[in-house]
Amino acid sequence: MTEEPYRWLEAIGNRREYIREQMKGGTPVFAVSRPEGILLLGVGIGHSKIFEIYDRHGLAALGHPVDIEKLRQAAIEAAHMEGFSRNPKDVTLRRLISFALSTMLKHSFEQIFAPPFIVESVWAELGDAPGHDVLVRVHHDGNHTWDTTGVLLAHCDDAKEKDALEWLRKQFQPDHPLEHVAAICLVAWQTLVDDKPFADLKVPDNPPRSIPGKKLEAALLDRKMNGPVHYRELEIK
Amino acid sequence: MNGDFLALLPKQGPLPQLGPQAAAVVQLQATTVFAFHCAEGIIIAGDHRATAGNLVFSDKTEKILELDSHSLMAIAGVPATAFEMARTLQTSFEFYRRSQLQAMSLPAKIRALSQLLRNNLAGTIQGFGLVAPIFAGAEVNEPEARPQIHFYDPLGAQFEAVNYAGSGSGSGSIKAVLSFLEKWGNPRPADMSLPQACSLANRLLITAAEFDTATGGVQPDKRNFATIKVVSRSGIRNISTDEQDQFWKNNGEHR
Repeated sequence: MTEEPYRWLEAIGNRREYIREQMKGGTPVFAVSRPEGILLLGVGIGHSKIFEIYDRHGLAALGHPVDIEKLRQAAIEAAHMEGFSRNPKDVTLRRLISFALSTMLKHSFEQIFAPPFIVESVWAELGDAPGHDVLVRVHHDGNHTWDTTGVLLAHCDDAKEKDALEWLRKQFQPDHPLEHVAAICLVAWQTLVDDKPFADLKVPDNPPRSIPGKKLEAALLDRKMNGPVHYRELEIK
Repeated sequence: MNGDFLALLPKQGPLPQLGPQAAAVVQLQATTVFAFHCAEGIIIAGDHRATAGNLVFSDKTEKILELDSHSLMAIAGVPATAFEMARTLQTSFEFYRRSQLQAMSLPAKIRALSQLLRNNLAGTIQGFGLVAPIFAGAEVNEPEARPQIHFYDPLGAQFEAVNYAGSGSGSGSIKAVLSFLEKWGNPRPADMSLPQACSLANRLLITAAEFDTATGGVQPDKRNFATIKVVSRSGIRNISTDEQDQFWKNNGEHR
Protein backbone atom coordinates (compact mmCIF):
# COMPACT_ATOMS: atom_id res chain seq x y z
CA MET A 1 0.00 0.00 0.00
CA THR A 2 2.78 2.42 0.92
CA GLU A 3 4.22 1.96 -2.53
CA GLU A 4 1.02 3.06 -4.35
CA PRO A 5 1.59 6.86 -4.34
CA TYR A 6 5.11 6.33 -5.58
CA ARG A 7 3.87 4.03 -8.33
CA TRP A 8 1.28 6.59 -9.31
CA LEU A 9 3.86 9.40 -9.46
CA GLU A 10 6.15 7.18 -11.47
CA ALA A 11 3.34 6.30 -13.84
CA ILE A 12 2.51 9.98 -14.33
CA GLY A 13 6.18 10.72 -14.98
CA ASN A 14 6.32 7.93 -17.52
CA ARG A 15 3.20 9.30 -19.09
CA ARG A 16 4.73 12.76 -19.51
CA GLU A 17 7.79 11.15 -21.05
CA TYR A 18 5.58 9.13 -23.40
CA ILE A 19 3.68 12.22 -24.51
CA ARG A 20 6.90 14.20 -25.01
CA GLU A 21 8.23 11.38 -27.16
CA GLN A 22 5.04 11.17 -29.19
CA MET A 23 5.00 14.93 -29.74
CA LYS A 24 8.51 14.96 -31.21
CA GLY A 25 8.46 16.10 -34.79
CA GLY A 26 5.35 18.16 -34.25
CA THR A 27 5.55 21.63 -35.75
CA PRO A 28 4.38 24.82 -34.03
CA VAL A 29 1.11 26.70 -34.46
CA PHE A 30 0.53 30.41 -33.88
CA ALA A 31 -2.21 32.83 -32.82
CA VAL A 32 -1.72 36.58 -33.17
CA SER A 33 -4.22 39.27 -32.24
CA ARG A 34 -4.28 42.04 -34.84
CA PRO A 35 -6.49 45.04 -35.63
CA GLU A 36 -8.14 43.00 -38.43
CA GLY A 37 -8.85 40.06 -36.13
CA ILE A 38 -6.99 37.04 -34.82
CA LEU A 39 -4.62 35.27 -37.19
CA LEU A 40 -4.27 31.51 -36.69
CA LEU A 41 -1.43 29.85 -38.54
CA GLY A 42 0.19 26.46 -38.90
CA VAL A 43 1.90 24.32 -41.49
CA GLY A 44 0.01 21.11 -42.16
CA ILE A 45 -1.84 19.21 -44.84
CA GLY A 46 -5.10 21.18 -44.95
CA HIS A 47 -7.71 21.02 -42.18
CA SER A 48 -5.19 19.42 -39.87
CA LYS A 49 -4.06 22.18 -37.52
CA ILE A 50 -6.32 25.23 -37.75
CA PHE A 51 -10.03 24.91 -37.03
CA GLU A 52 -13.22 26.86 -36.55
CA ILE A 53 -14.93 26.10 -33.25
CA TYR A 54 -17.77 28.58 -32.97
CA ASP A 55 -18.87 32.00 -34.22
CA ARG A 56 -15.91 33.88 -32.69
CA HIS A 57 -13.69 30.96 -31.69
CA GLY A 58 -10.84 29.14 -33.32
CA LEU A 59 -8.28 26.46 -32.47
CA ALA A 60 -4.70 25.85 -33.56
CA ALA A 61 -3.22 22.55 -32.45
CA LEU A 62 -0.41 20.08 -32.95
CA GLY A 63 -0.21 16.49 -31.86
CA HIS A 64 -1.85 13.22 -32.75
CA PRO A 65 -4.52 13.82 -35.42
CA VAL A 66 -7.03 11.57 -33.68
CA ASP A 67 -6.60 13.38 -30.37
CA ILE A 68 -6.84 16.80 -32.04
CA GLU A 69 -10.06 15.58 -33.62
CA LYS A 70 -11.46 14.35 -30.28
CA LEU A 71 -10.63 17.65 -28.60
CA ARG A 72 -12.04 19.65 -31.49
CA GLN A 73 -15.30 17.68 -31.50
CA ALA A 74 -15.66 18.03 -27.73
CA ALA A 75 -15.18 21.79 -27.99
CA ILE A 76 -17.62 22.15 -30.89
CA GLU A 77 -20.28 20.13 -29.07
CA ALA A 78 -19.89 22.08 -25.84
CA ALA A 79 -19.91 25.43 -27.64
CA HIS A 80 -23.00 24.65 -29.72
CA MET A 81 -24.94 23.25 -26.78
CA GLU A 82 -24.11 26.36 -24.78
CA GLY A 83 -24.96 28.71 -27.65
CA PHE A 84 -28.23 26.92 -28.30
CA SER A 85 -29.29 26.63 -24.65
CA ARG A 86 -28.42 30.23 -23.81
CA ASN A 87 -27.02 32.61 -26.42
CA PRO A 88 -23.99 32.63 -28.73
CA LYS A 89 -22.61 35.50 -26.63
CA ASP A 90 -22.50 33.16 -23.65
CA VAL A 91 -19.99 30.93 -25.41
CA THR A 92 -16.67 32.07 -23.97
CA LEU A 93 -13.25 30.48 -23.74
CA ARG A 94 -13.28 31.22 -20.02
CA ARG A 95 -16.15 28.79 -19.52
CA LEU A 96 -15.31 26.41 -22.35
CA ILE A 97 -11.76 25.78 -21.20
CA SER A 98 -12.10 26.18 -17.45
CA PHE A 99 -15.16 24.00 -17.02
CA ALA A 100 -15.20 21.63 -19.97
CA LEU A 101 -11.98 21.05 -21.87
CA SER A 102 -9.25 21.40 -19.26
CA THR A 103 -11.16 19.12 -16.89
CA MET A 104 -11.48 16.52 -19.62
CA LEU A 105 -7.77 16.78 -20.51
CA LYS A 106 -6.61 16.52 -16.90
CA HIS A 107 -8.89 13.59 -16.25
CA SER A 108 -7.63 11.83 -19.34
CA PHE A 109 -4.00 12.55 -18.45
CA GLU A 110 -4.36 11.11 -14.95
CA GLN A 111 -6.22 7.97 -15.98
CA ILE A 112 -3.05 5.95 -16.18
CA PHE A 113 -4.69 2.87 -17.69
CA ALA A 114 -6.22 4.82 -20.58
CA PRO A 115 -4.43 6.61 -23.41
CA PRO A 116 -3.83 10.33 -22.84
CA PHE A 117 -4.54 13.20 -25.23
CA ILE A 118 -1.42 13.95 -27.24
CA VAL A 119 -2.29 17.53 -28.09
CA GLU A 120 -0.79 20.97 -27.50
CA SER A 121 -3.08 23.80 -28.47
CA VAL A 122 -3.80 27.50 -28.70
CA TRP A 123 -7.38 28.76 -28.48
CA ALA A 124 -8.64 32.12 -29.67
CA GLU A 125 -11.74 34.18 -28.97
CA LEU A 126 -12.42 37.29 -31.02
CA GLY A 127 -13.41 40.46 -29.18
CA ASP A 128 -14.75 43.78 -30.45
CA ALA A 129 -11.21 45.24 -30.35
CA PRO A 130 -7.72 43.70 -30.07
CA GLY A 131 -7.69 44.51 -26.36
CA HIS A 132 -10.73 42.29 -25.87
CA ASP A 133 -9.34 39.29 -27.75
CA VAL A 134 -8.66 36.21 -25.64
CA LEU A 135 -5.84 33.77 -26.36
CA VAL A 136 -5.28 30.67 -24.26
CA ARG A 137 -2.48 28.12 -24.30
CA VAL A 138 -3.81 24.71 -23.33
CA HIS A 139 -1.39 21.87 -22.55
CA HIS A 140 -1.91 18.13 -22.92
CA ASP A 141 -2.59 17.73 -19.18
CA GLY A 142 -5.28 20.41 -19.04
CA ASN A 143 -2.98 23.06 -17.63
CA HIS A 144 -3.71 26.35 -19.33
CA THR A 145 -2.50 29.94 -19.32
CA TRP A 146 -4.33 33.08 -20.38
CA ASP A 147 -2.32 35.38 -22.59
CA THR A 148 -2.30 39.15 -22.22
CA THR A 149 0.17 40.05 -24.98
CA GLY A 150 -1.83 39.12 -28.08
CA VAL A 151 0.75 36.62 -29.30
CA LEU A 152 0.79 32.92 -28.53
CA LEU A 153 2.20 29.73 -29.94
CA ALA A 154 2.17 26.06 -29.13
CA HIS A 155 5.14 23.78 -29.73
CA CYS A 156 6.29 20.36 -28.60
CA ASP A 157 9.25 21.75 -26.62
CA ASP A 158 8.44 24.14 -23.75
CA ALA A 159 11.85 25.84 -23.59
CA LYS A 160 12.02 26.50 -27.32
CA GLU A 161 8.40 27.65 -27.29
CA LYS A 162 9.29 30.22 -24.63
CA ASP A 163 12.26 31.52 -26.64
CA ALA A 164 10.19 31.77 -29.79
CA LEU A 165 7.42 33.57 -27.95
CA GLU A 166 9.78 36.17 -26.50
CA TRP A 167 11.24 36.78 -29.93
CA LEU A 168 7.87 36.96 -31.67
CA ARG A 169 6.41 39.46 -29.23
CA LYS A 170 9.17 41.92 -30.12
CA GLN A 171 8.66 41.64 -33.88
CA PHE A 172 5.09 42.78 -34.53
CA GLN A 173 4.16 46.38 -35.20
CA PRO A 174 0.55 47.62 -35.24
CA ASP A 175 0.80 48.66 -38.90
CA HIS A 176 2.11 45.33 -40.17
CA PRO A 177 -0.21 43.84 -42.77
CA LEU A 178 -1.47 40.32 -42.09
CA GLU A 179 0.78 38.84 -44.78
CA HIS A 180 3.83 40.26 -43.03
CA VAL A 181 2.63 39.00 -39.64
CA ALA A 182 2.20 35.54 -41.18
CA ALA A 183 5.67 35.77 -42.73
CA ILE A 184 7.23 36.58 -39.33
CA CYS A 185 5.45 33.55 -37.88
CA LEU A 186 6.92 31.45 -40.68
CA VAL A 187 10.42 32.69 -39.79
CA ALA A 188 9.80 31.51 -36.22
CA TRP A 189 8.33 28.25 -37.54
CA GLN A 190 11.40 27.51 -39.65
CA THR A 191 13.75 28.42 -36.80
CA LEU A 192 11.96 26.07 -34.40
CA VAL A 193 11.83 23.25 -36.92
CA ASP A 194 15.54 23.71 -37.75
CA ASP A 195 16.27 23.82 -34.00
CA LYS A 196 18.22 27.09 -34.28
CA PRO A 197 18.57 29.78 -31.59
CA PHE A 198 16.42 32.93 -31.51
CA ALA A 199 19.07 35.09 -29.84
CA ASP A 200 20.36 36.87 -32.94
CA LEU A 201 17.55 36.02 -35.31
CA LYS A 202 16.49 38.84 -37.63
CA VAL A 203 13.46 38.99 -39.89
CA PRO A 204 14.75 39.04 -43.47
CA ASP A 205 13.89 41.98 -45.73
CA ASN A 206 11.67 39.70 -47.78
CA PRO A 207 10.46 37.12 -45.29
CA PRO A 208 9.05 33.85 -46.68
CA ARG A 209 5.35 33.62 -47.56
CA SER A 210 5.45 29.85 -47.83
CA ILE A 211 7.43 26.79 -46.81
CA PRO A 212 8.68 24.79 -49.81
CA GLY A 213 6.93 21.42 -50.03
CA LYS A 214 4.51 22.25 -47.19
CA LYS A 215 0.98 23.57 -47.06
CA LEU A 216 0.33 26.73 -45.13
CA GLU A 217 -2.86 26.66 -43.07
CA ALA A 218 -4.10 30.07 -42.05
CA ALA A 219 -7.40 31.50 -40.86
CA LEU A 220 -8.63 34.83 -39.62
CA LEU A 221 -11.24 35.45 -36.97
CA ASP A 222 -12.29 38.52 -38.87
CA ARG A 223 -13.47 41.48 -36.80
CA LYS A 224 -15.24 43.10 -39.76
CA MET A 225 -17.22 40.14 -41.07
CA ASN A 226 -20.97 40.73 -41.09
CA GLY A 227 -23.23 38.18 -39.45
CA PRO A 228 -22.56 35.85 -36.56
CA VAL A 229 -19.74 33.82 -38.14
CA HIS A 230 -16.33 35.53 -38.03
CA TYR A 231 -14.02 32.69 -39.04
CA ARG A 232 -12.65 32.52 -42.55
CA GLU A 233 -9.81 30.67 -44.16
CA LEU A 234 -6.99 32.91 -45.28
CA GLU A 235 -4.80 32.61 -48.31
CA ILE A 236 -1.37 34.10 -47.66
CA LYS A 237 0.16 35.58 -50.82
CA MET B 1 -19.38 11.81 -34.69
CA ASN B 2 -22.09 12.16 -37.30
CA GLY B 3 -22.53 15.93 -37.19
CA ASP B 4 -26.13 15.60 -36.00
CA PHE B 5 -26.78 18.38 -33.51
CA LEU B 6 -30.26 17.08 -32.67
CA ALA B 7 -28.69 13.91 -31.32
CA LEU B 8 -27.02 16.00 -28.62
CA LEU B 9 -30.25 17.49 -27.37
CA PRO B 10 -32.31 16.03 -24.53
CA LYS B 11 -34.78 13.34 -25.61
CA GLN B 12 -37.87 15.51 -25.24
CA GLY B 13 -36.51 17.62 -28.09
CA PRO B 14 -36.03 21.33 -28.47
CA LEU B 15 -39.58 22.22 -29.39
CA PRO B 16 -42.27 23.20 -26.88
CA GLN B 17 -44.27 20.36 -25.37
CA LEU B 18 -47.75 21.37 -24.38
CA GLY B 19 -50.25 19.40 -22.33
CA PRO B 20 -53.88 18.47 -22.91
CA GLN B 21 -55.09 22.02 -22.24
CA ALA B 22 -53.16 23.31 -25.22
CA ALA B 23 -56.36 24.15 -27.08
CA ALA B 24 -56.69 27.16 -24.81
CA VAL B 25 -53.45 28.66 -26.12
CA VAL B 26 -53.97 31.85 -28.16
CA GLN B 27 -53.05 31.27 -31.79
CA LEU B 28 -50.62 33.57 -33.55
CA GLN B 29 -50.57 32.28 -37.08
CA ALA B 30 -51.81 34.86 -39.55
CA THR B 31 -49.11 36.29 -41.80
CA THR B 32 -47.87 36.54 -45.38
CA VAL B 33 -44.55 35.31 -46.65
CA PHE B 34 -43.58 34.32 -50.17
CA ALA B 35 -40.63 33.59 -52.44
CA PHE B 36 -40.13 33.74 -56.19
CA HIS B 37 -37.30 33.37 -58.64
CA CYS B 38 -35.91 36.51 -60.23
CA ALA B 39 -32.90 37.14 -62.46
CA GLU B 40 -30.53 37.50 -59.50
CA GLY B 41 -31.64 34.46 -57.53
CA ILE B 42 -34.57 34.00 -55.20
CA ILE B 43 -36.45 36.89 -53.62
CA ILE B 44 -37.97 35.94 -50.31
CA ALA B 45 -40.16 38.47 -48.56
CA GLY B 46 -42.62 38.92 -45.76
CA ASP B 47 -44.69 41.52 -44.01
CA HIS B 48 -44.07 42.61 -40.42
CA ARG B 49 -47.41 41.91 -38.79
CA ALA B 50 -48.11 39.28 -36.15
CA THR B 51 -51.67 38.85 -34.95
CA ALA B 52 -53.40 37.12 -32.07
CA GLY B 53 -57.00 36.55 -33.09
CA ASN B 54 -58.34 39.95 -34.05
CA LEU B 55 -55.52 41.79 -32.26
CA VAL B 56 -52.41 43.15 -33.94
CA PHE B 57 -49.74 41.62 -31.75
CA SER B 58 -46.78 43.34 -33.42
CA ASP B 59 -46.02 45.28 -36.60
CA LYS B 60 -42.26 44.81 -36.29
CA THR B 61 -41.92 41.05 -36.64
CA GLU B 62 -39.09 39.60 -38.70
CA LYS B 63 -40.34 36.52 -40.50
CA ILE B 64 -37.49 35.91 -42.94
CA LEU B 65 -34.75 34.19 -41.00
CA GLU B 66 -31.23 33.36 -42.14
CA LEU B 67 -30.39 29.76 -41.33
CA ASP B 68 -26.84 29.93 -42.64
CA SER B 69 -24.86 31.70 -45.35
CA HIS B 70 -26.89 30.12 -48.18
CA SER B 71 -30.33 29.27 -46.80
CA LEU B 72 -33.37 31.15 -45.57
CA MET B 73 -36.63 30.23 -43.91
CA ALA B 74 -39.82 32.25 -44.10
CA ILE B 75 -42.08 31.48 -41.21
CA ALA B 76 -45.84 31.25 -41.18
CA GLY B 77 -47.71 29.70 -38.33
CA VAL B 78 -47.30 29.75 -34.58
CA PRO B 79 -44.26 31.96 -33.91
CA ALA B 80 -43.10 30.11 -30.79
CA THR B 81 -42.71 26.89 -32.73
CA ALA B 82 -41.50 28.51 -35.94
CA PHE B 83 -38.77 30.58 -34.28
CA GLU B 84 -37.60 27.55 -32.32
CA MET B 85 -37.44 25.51 -35.51
CA ALA B 86 -35.36 28.21 -37.16
CA ARG B 87 -33.02 28.40 -34.18
CA THR B 88 -32.63 24.63 -34.15
CA LEU B 89 -31.80 24.59 -37.84
CA GLN B 90 -29.34 27.48 -37.53
CA THR B 91 -27.41 25.61 -34.86
CA SER B 92 -27.71 22.26 -36.68
CA PHE B 93 -26.34 23.59 -39.98
CA GLU B 94 -23.40 25.39 -38.35
CA PHE B 95 -22.70 22.43 -36.08
CA TYR B 96 -22.57 20.12 -39.08
CA ARG B 97 -20.34 22.47 -41.10
CA ARG B 98 -17.88 22.94 -38.27
CA SER B 99 -17.75 19.39 -37.02
CA GLN B 100 -17.69 17.70 -40.44
CA LEU B 101 -15.51 20.38 -42.08
CA GLN B 102 -17.92 20.69 -44.99
CA ALA B 103 -21.25 22.37 -45.55
CA MET B 104 -24.42 20.31 -45.32
CA SER B 105 -25.92 19.61 -48.74
CA LEU B 106 -29.02 21.52 -49.82
CA PRO B 107 -31.23 18.38 -49.92
CA ALA B 108 -30.17 17.56 -46.35
CA LYS B 109 -31.08 21.07 -45.18
CA ILE B 110 -34.46 20.82 -46.89
CA ARG B 111 -35.02 17.45 -45.25
CA ALA B 112 -33.95 18.74 -41.82
CA LEU B 113 -36.83 21.23 -41.82
CA SER B 114 -39.19 18.50 -42.96
CA GLN B 115 -38.04 16.36 -40.06
CA LEU B 116 -38.69 19.12 -37.52
CA LEU B 117 -42.19 19.61 -38.90
CA ARG B 118 -42.90 15.91 -38.68
CA ASN B 119 -41.59 15.80 -35.10
CA ASN B 120 -44.07 18.57 -34.33
CA LEU B 121 -46.96 16.34 -35.36
CA ALA B 122 -48.72 16.49 -31.97
CA GLY B 123 -48.70 20.29 -31.94
CA THR B 124 -49.90 20.43 -35.54
CA ILE B 125 -52.80 18.02 -35.03
CA GLN B 126 -53.91 19.74 -31.83
CA GLY B 127 -53.76 23.06 -33.61
CA PHE B 128 -51.57 24.99 -31.20
CA GLY B 129 -48.23 24.50 -32.97
CA LEU B 130 -49.00 24.62 -36.66
CA VAL B 131 -46.13 25.87 -38.86
CA ALA B 132 -46.12 26.08 -42.68
CA PRO B 133 -42.73 27.52 -43.68
CA ILE B 134 -40.99 28.27 -46.95
CA PHE B 135 -37.35 27.35 -47.44
CA ALA B 136 -35.07 28.99 -50.00
CA GLY B 137 -31.47 28.00 -50.48
CA ALA B 138 -28.51 27.55 -52.78
CA GLU B 139 -26.19 24.55 -52.89
CA VAL B 140 -22.83 25.54 -51.40
CA ASN B 141 -21.09 22.43 -52.73
CA GLU B 142 -22.32 22.93 -56.31
CA PRO B 143 -21.84 26.59 -57.20
CA GLU B 144 -23.45 26.17 -60.64
CA ALA B 145 -26.71 24.68 -59.31
CA ARG B 146 -29.85 26.83 -59.43
CA PRO B 147 -31.15 28.05 -56.05
CA GLN B 148 -34.32 26.28 -54.92
CA ILE B 149 -37.61 27.20 -53.25
CA HIS B 150 -39.40 24.57 -51.18
CA PHE B 151 -42.70 24.82 -49.39
CA TYR B 152 -44.05 22.43 -46.79
CA ASP B 153 -47.33 21.25 -45.46
CA PRO B 154 -47.64 21.38 -41.67
CA LEU B 155 -46.99 17.63 -41.41
CA GLY B 156 -43.60 17.90 -43.07
CA ALA B 157 -44.23 17.03 -46.71
CA GLN B 158 -41.93 19.12 -48.89
CA PHE B 159 -42.53 20.37 -52.41
CA GLU B 160 -40.21 22.23 -54.71
CA ALA B 161 -41.74 25.35 -56.19
CA VAL B 162 -40.91 25.82 -59.85
CA ASN B 163 -41.48 29.58 -59.86
CA TYR B 164 -42.92 30.78 -56.55
CA ALA B 165 -44.36 29.78 -53.20
CA GLY B 166 -46.44 31.56 -50.59
CA SER B 167 -47.63 30.82 -47.10
CA GLY B 168 -49.86 32.42 -44.51
CA SER B 169 -53.31 33.95 -44.56
CA GLY B 170 -52.51 36.58 -47.19
CA SER B 171 -50.66 34.30 -49.56
CA GLY B 172 -53.69 33.36 -51.68
CA SER B 173 -53.92 36.69 -53.44
CA ILE B 174 -50.15 36.89 -53.84
CA LYS B 175 -49.96 33.46 -55.46
CA ALA B 176 -52.79 34.44 -57.80
CA VAL B 177 -50.92 37.56 -58.93
CA LEU B 178 -47.63 35.68 -59.31
CA SER B 179 -49.36 32.97 -61.33
CA PHE B 180 -50.83 35.63 -63.60
CA LEU B 181 -47.49 37.39 -64.03
CA GLU B 182 -45.63 34.16 -64.76
CA LYS B 183 -48.04 33.49 -67.63
CA TRP B 184 -48.67 36.95 -69.01
CA GLY B 185 -46.27 39.31 -67.31
CA ASN B 186 -43.73 41.30 -69.26
CA PRO B 187 -41.22 40.80 -67.82
CA ARG B 188 -42.12 37.60 -65.97
CA PRO B 189 -41.04 37.68 -62.30
CA ALA B 190 -38.33 35.11 -63.05
CA ASP B 191 -36.77 37.55 -65.54
CA MET B 192 -37.03 40.65 -63.37
CA SER B 193 -34.01 42.60 -62.22
CA LEU B 194 -33.50 43.05 -58.48
CA PRO B 195 -35.08 46.55 -58.34
CA GLN B 196 -38.11 45.35 -60.29
CA ALA B 197 -38.46 42.23 -58.15
CA CYS B 198 -38.19 44.19 -54.89
CA SER B 199 -40.82 46.67 -55.98
CA LEU B 200 -43.05 43.79 -57.03
CA ALA B 201 -42.60 42.17 -53.61
CA ASN B 202 -43.76 45.34 -51.87
CA ARG B 203 -46.68 45.74 -54.26
CA LEU B 204 -47.72 42.14 -53.63
CA LEU B 205 -47.79 42.69 -49.88
CA ILE B 206 -49.80 45.88 -50.24
CA THR B 207 -52.25 43.95 -52.42
CA ALA B 208 -52.47 41.13 -49.89
CA ALA B 209 -53.14 43.63 -47.10
CA GLU B 210 -56.19 44.86 -49.02
CA PHE B 211 -57.87 41.49 -48.47
CA ASP B 212 -56.27 40.17 -45.30
CA THR B 213 -56.29 42.07 -42.02
CA ALA B 214 -53.44 39.90 -40.72
CA THR B 215 -51.06 41.23 -43.38
CA GLY B 216 -49.64 44.68 -42.80
CA GLY B 217 -46.79 46.97 -42.00
CA VAL B 218 -45.78 47.79 -45.59
CA GLN B 219 -46.26 51.49 -46.29
CA PRO B 220 -43.71 52.81 -48.81
CA ASP B 221 -44.89 56.41 -48.30
CA LYS B 222 -43.74 56.12 -44.69
CA ARG B 223 -40.59 54.20 -45.64
CA ASN B 224 -42.01 51.03 -44.13
CA PHE B 225 -41.00 48.28 -46.51
CA ALA B 226 -41.18 44.51 -46.51
CA THR B 227 -38.41 42.32 -45.20
CA ILE B 228 -36.71 41.26 -48.41
CA LYS B 229 -33.70 38.99 -48.78
CA VAL B 230 -32.11 37.52 -51.88
CA VAL B 231 -30.40 34.17 -51.91
CA SER B 232 -28.14 33.21 -54.78
CA ARG B 233 -25.00 31.19 -55.39
CA SER B 234 -22.94 33.95 -53.83
CA GLY B 235 -24.93 33.86 -50.59
CA ILE B 236 -27.61 35.95 -48.93
CA ARG B 237 -28.17 39.64 -49.43
CA ASN B 238 -30.42 41.70 -47.21
CA ILE B 239 -32.21 44.47 -49.12
CA SER B 240 -32.14 47.48 -46.81
CA THR B 241 -34.88 50.06 -46.37
CA ASP B 242 -32.77 52.63 -48.24
CA GLU B 243 -32.32 50.30 -51.20
CA GLN B 244 -36.00 49.43 -51.30
CA ASP B 245 -36.90 53.10 -51.10
CA GLN B 246 -34.59 53.81 -54.03
CA PHE B 247 -35.97 50.91 -56.06
CA TRP B 248 -39.51 51.99 -55.30
CA LYS B 249 -38.88 55.56 -56.42
CA ASN B 250 -36.81 54.65 -59.48
CA ASN B 251 -39.47 52.32 -60.77
CA GLY B 252 -41.88 55.25 -60.74
CA GLU B 253 -44.10 53.59 -58.22
CA HIS B 254 -43.99 56.37 -55.66
CA ARG B 255 -47.47 57.83 -55.35
